[in-house]
Formats: sequence, C-alpha cells, structure tokens
Amino acid sequence: MTNRLRTSLALRVLLSTILLSSAVIWLSGSILNSRVSADVKQVNLDSSINEARSTIVSARYRLILAKSGSQKDVDELIGEILSAATTVGARASGRELALLRGPMANPAEKDFTTTSNLVDPGSLPEKFREKVRSTSELHWSYITIKYAGSLQVPAIAVGDMVSIPRSGKYEMYLLFPLTNQNKTLSLISRSIILVDVALVFLIGLITWLLARQVVRPVREAARVAEKFTSGDFNQRMKVTRKDEIATLGVSFNEMAASIQQQIMRLENLSRVQQRFVSDVSHELRTPLTTLRMASEVIYSSRSSFDPQIARSAELLIGNIDRFERLLEDLLEVSRFDAEVAVLEPVDFNLISLINGCIDDLDLVAKEKGTQIIFTPYSEDLSINADIRRVERILRNLFNNAIDHAELKPINVHVEYNDNDVAVAVRDHGIGMDENSLLRIFDRFWRADPSRSRIRGGTGLGLSIALEDARLHEGELEVWARPDKGAHFVLTLPRLAGNQIQSRLIRLEPKDLKI
Amino acid sequence: MTLVLVVDDDQDLAEMLGIVLNGAGIDVDLVSRGDEALEVFRNNPPDLVLLDVMLPGLDGIEVCKQIRAESMVPIVMLSAKGDTHDVVRGLEAGADDYMVKPFRHQSELVARIKTRLRKTNTDIAGLLKISDLSIDFNAHEVSRADKVIALTRLEFDLLVALAREPGRVFTRDALLSEVWGYRHSTDTRLVNVHVQRLRAKIENDPEHPEIVLTVRGVGYKAGNQSK
Repeated sequence: MTNRLRTSLALRVLLSTILLSSAVIWLSGSILNSRVSADVKQVNLDSSINEARSTIVSARYRLILAKSGSQKDVDELIGEILSAATTVGARASGRELALLRGPMANPAEKDFTTTSNLVDPGSLPEKFREKVRSTSELHWSYITIKYAGSLQVPAIAVGDMVSIPRSGKYEMYLLFPLTNQNKTLSLISRSIILVDVALVFLIGLITWLLARQVVRPVREAARVAEKFTSGDFNQRMKVTRKDEIATLGVSFNEMAASIQQQIMRLENLSRVQQRFVSDVSHELRTPLTTLRMASEVIYSSRSSFDPQIARSAELLIGNIDRFERLLEDLLEVSRFDAEVAVLEPVDFNLISLINGCIDDLDLVAKEKGTQIIFTPYSEDLSINADIRRVERILRNLFNNAIDHAELKPINVHVEYNDNDVAVAVRDHGIGMDENSLLRIFDRFWRADPSRSRIRGGTGLGLSIALEDARLHEGELEVWARPDKGAHFVLTLPRLAGNQIQSRLIRLEPKDLKI
Repeated sequence: MTLVLVVDDDQDLAEMLGIVLNGAGIDVDLVSRGDEALEVFRNNPPDLVLLDVMLPGLDGIEVCKQIRAESMVPIVMLSAKGDTHDVVRGLEAGADDYMVKPFRHQSELVARIKTRLRKTNTDIAGLLKISDLSIDFNAHEVSRADKVIALTRLEFDLLVALAREPGRVFTRDALLSEVWGYRHSTDTRLVNVHVQRLRAKIENDPEHPEIVLTVRGVGYKAGNQSK
C-alpha cells in the first residue's frame, strides 16, 4: 500500500483530499449537530415550561375555588388535577405529575402527597425542591424519573407551589420525559453523520475522477517515454488539447523526433560503415586472389631464377600471406566493433579440434624448438559452439605460446563438467611483467617490440580471441610472470547460449612452486 | 582433355585461373557475365563449372540453379565474402562445393577441382539395396522401382561413402575428408546441406529418412541393407 502510495499520484491526491475533507466535514457536522440539538432542547424546554405553567396555574385556581368546598370536593379535585395533568396535552403520553407535601404544610391535616404512575418522589433532587419551595415562581431542572422497579427516564421537571385548602402548601411538579426529544436528537445526529459520510464519499469520487483526468495523460506520457527509452523510437504522445499536459506532450514529441533523427543518423553512419567494410572486403579479396595465384606460379618456378629474384618470390608470397591474414583479422575486428558478429553454434568434438590444431602447428612448433603436449582424459568431448571461432581462439593461443615458448614444451589441458569446459595453454617461456599483462589483449600491442613480427602475427590475434570467447558468453584469462611463462585459460559454456558457471581451471598454474 | 567453365567478372582473376588450370592440364572456357554463362555452358558442356557469386547480368546463385536444372555437372562456387549466408545459398542452389577468395593455395584450388572430377571410387561392384532403393555401383545409378533417380556425382559419392560401410557412423569431418577431400575442415554446413539435398531426392519422406540416418551429436549412417 505504501508502495502504491509512493508510485500513484492519483491515489496520493485522493487520500489527502479524503483526509482533509473528512476533517472539515466532521467539524462542520458537529457544530451543526450541537446547534440543532441546543435549539431542539430549548424549544422543548419552553413548551414544557409553558404547559406546566398553565397546568399549575389552572390547578392553583381550581384549588382556590375549592376552598369553600368540602373535604370530599378537595379530594375529587386533586384526583381530577392528577388525571388531567397526566392525560391532557400534546405530549400527554409520558407526562407525569408529582404532588409533594412541603415542610410548611399542616401536619395534622390529610396528606395529599401523590405521584402518577408510581413515580418515585426521590426522582426530584432535594436541591431542586428547595429552590421551588424557597420562591414562589416556576422552576425547572433536568432530572431522571425513577419509576418503581428500575426504569429510569430522563426528563424535564417543572415545579411550583400550590396550596391545598386546609392542608397547606404543596409542591406540584410536572415531569416531561425526554424520550421523544432524545429520539429526535439521535435521528438528527445520525442524519448528519450519514450526510457527512456521503459527502466524503462523493468528494472522494470527484477527486478520483479529476485526479485521473490529470494523471491519465501523465501516465500515458510516462508509458510513451518508457517505450521510447526501450528502443521504439516511433512512439509519440497524443496531443488533442491545449492545456499544460498538451504542452508537455508537444515538447516530448519534439525531443523524441530530434533523438530519433540523431539515432537514425548514427545508425545510418554505422550501416554505411558496415557496408564499406563489407565492400572493402569484397573488393580486396578478388585482386588478392589473383595476386596470390600469380605469386604462387612465380614461386613454384623460383628454382630457375637467380637467387635474388627467387628470394623476392619467397618474400612476395610470404607477405601476401601476411596481408591476407591482416585483412581477415581487421574485418573480424570491424565486425565485432559494429556488433554484427554472430555465433553459429554446431555440435563438435573439442578434443579432435584441439588435436587437429596441434597437428597443423606441429611443424611450426618443431622449427621453434618446442612441442605442444596434450594428453586428454578421453578422446571424446562434445560441445556446442561456433567451431570456426573456437578453432581461431585455439590457434591464436597455440601460436602465441609457440612464439614465446623459448625451447620449452607447451602443455595443453582440458577440464569439463556438465555445463562448462575449460582449455588451458601453459608455456614456460619468457612470460610477462604486470604492465604487459594488462595490455596483452589490446589491439596491435606487442609485449616486446624488438622481438615481434618474427612469425608475422597480425597483433590482433589475442584481442580477437578474447572477443570470440566473450561472444560465447565465455571468458579468456591470462596469468604470466617474467621468466615463468604464461598460462591462458579459456572457459566456455558447453552449450552455446548458456552462461559459464564455474572456473574449472585455476588461473595460477599448478606447476608453479614459489 | 578436361574442360572447366570459369564464370567470373574479374578479368585478371579469370585469366589467372586459366593460367593455373592450364598448368594443371585442364582446358578453360572463360565467361565474365552471368547471363552469358548458360549459353556457353550449353554450346560447349564442361566437366566442371567454377562460378563466382557476384556476377553482372545474372546472379551466380541464379546461374547455379539454371545449370543444375539441366545438368548434374559438378559446380564449385567462388565467394569473395566469407559470409555464411552466401555460402549456404550457393549450396542450396545446387553447388557441390565452394571456395572463399582468396584461396589458401594454388594447390587447394586444383586439388578441389580434381577431387570433383575424379571417378567415384567404388571398390565394390554390383548392386546394393537399402530399403527400396537400389544402388548400382557399376552403372553409377540409383533407382527406386526401376526408375532412375538423377544424382550429382557428389550426391552419388556421398551415398556410396555411407552405403559402402553400412552401420558405420560417419562424423561430418569423416565425410568431408572422404567425399570432399578436405584434410582439416571445420565447415560442416557442406555436409548438412548436401545430406538434405540427397534426402530430398532419395527418401520417400525426407522428414523421416530411412536411407541416410542422422545419429544425433555424431553424424550420419546408412540405413540397413535389404536383400
């Protein structure tokens, strides 16, 4: 949720709007509620007082009139007053009456103390009764009616003194239960709450709609920008209106068009470059073929030439070889640079490929006073890789080792598991210092310029080997120390397209004892 | 005398090829345009065609298709690009072999041509049956239900190489040295493309071959002989 909050603008706007509007609505609702309930209470109180006054005044008047009557008349009158007070009136239903004997009454006479519906006289607090007794005017108070039993009802009590003939002063109270009023009040507050909730909901809905209206184009813009970033340069924002979002859209589209143009220009340049390289390749190869064949024809009859011309024929053919190798390597490098080099994996036996390469280089190795020693565990190790590239890596490593072997044998070692295969080429020749080690895979870099070019390497071999290994998602690493030889370790996945998962051969050679 | 038709738009190279092949005792017809090649081919049928891929008039691939449509003569494509795409297109158009310029050695060119020109080495005589296919070593013919199936010499060589030792599994490298005469070649596409072409001609259902069987991860072998 917090995550969604951070990522969704609409949700954030919605949530804060709901929080703020809830606070405002709650505040105004409670003010409204308290105002309305105060008014309702006041109206209720006023009408209760008026009713009580008229009832009490009429009772008082009738009692004065009954002064001359008999005791029985007075009794009847009290009964009448009692029933009239509890049955007559707009809200007669719950109205109660209490007639309580004041302390100043004549104790010798008959006690008319009575309450309707068995209301406990104790419902009227002593303090309130004191007030009623002390002055001769109407008083009111909120009380709780206690009926016999445990029923209690909140009510307004209004009381005054009446005098009953021959019996003295009595307190007469009219009790107006507040049940209805409370019902009304709770109805009002419920309605207010309901309206509040509805309001918050509606405000939320409106906010959501508005936020979406604003956010949708922003989201759309973000989506378009994302697609654009991921390489679909034809993506543009739709601009239909003239608001701020539309301005953003227009600016975005202008930027996109300019970027697209730049990219197309660069792509075009790169295409032109690739075409050029390919054309150069084609155009150079045909005359090179003629050159090569011509030089071979001359070379084959060199025995009949005088020595200088014969030597020239040898140099000619040797350098056409070098030229050809250089051309091939340059084209390969340019393919890597243009990122058009592709892997063409096939299944093949790595051991026989290694043996084949060693056989081919056997003569060269012998000339240099060294030999390549390879004793595989088994004669069969099937891998899936680009055989042309793997062969090129191996030839480059073997050639490099032969060039630097210094009359000492070269060891080739193969390790494999289900996923990876590693080939190590170890020579015990001049080795390299750390500076050379850092630059060994650089193009046209030679460890020792004074002894270079003896066998006409192109200076691109190891850098191409590294690119070939990387194209296989593999790795080519080197260890070397001055006068301790070098150790090249090639690790490849056994199935093209996989990643290498381990280093099967430690880079630091085992034969080294320091 | 053996005649080779050389189709290449580069005059110098064509002339040089002529010199080298003449030196090896081979007669040469030179054509520099693709659209003229077929006419020369028909007028003076050669024993082998050396065909450049990039030609003015008509593309070398097209020329190859047209020649193959009317003749089983060996065709060797010359490509100036090392691109696999070109090579595979040439092989699929019916070329037997290809050489990428510049050729490694003069002897490579001559050796390759001679391999393609030599008579199929059949030390067994007589008839061999695989499935419902009959191979007649003497007549250099392959037939099914008395209907002769036209194979190029290379396709016949490939079939014979496999059929001569039934049950033996040939790696692609082995086939390359046996049929194409390569010493250390790593281009197994040659084998793959030609096996497909051969199957298309001799198998009842090339999708489920019965005569040239694939041995996964190793190579190919011939199907069982039938009496």
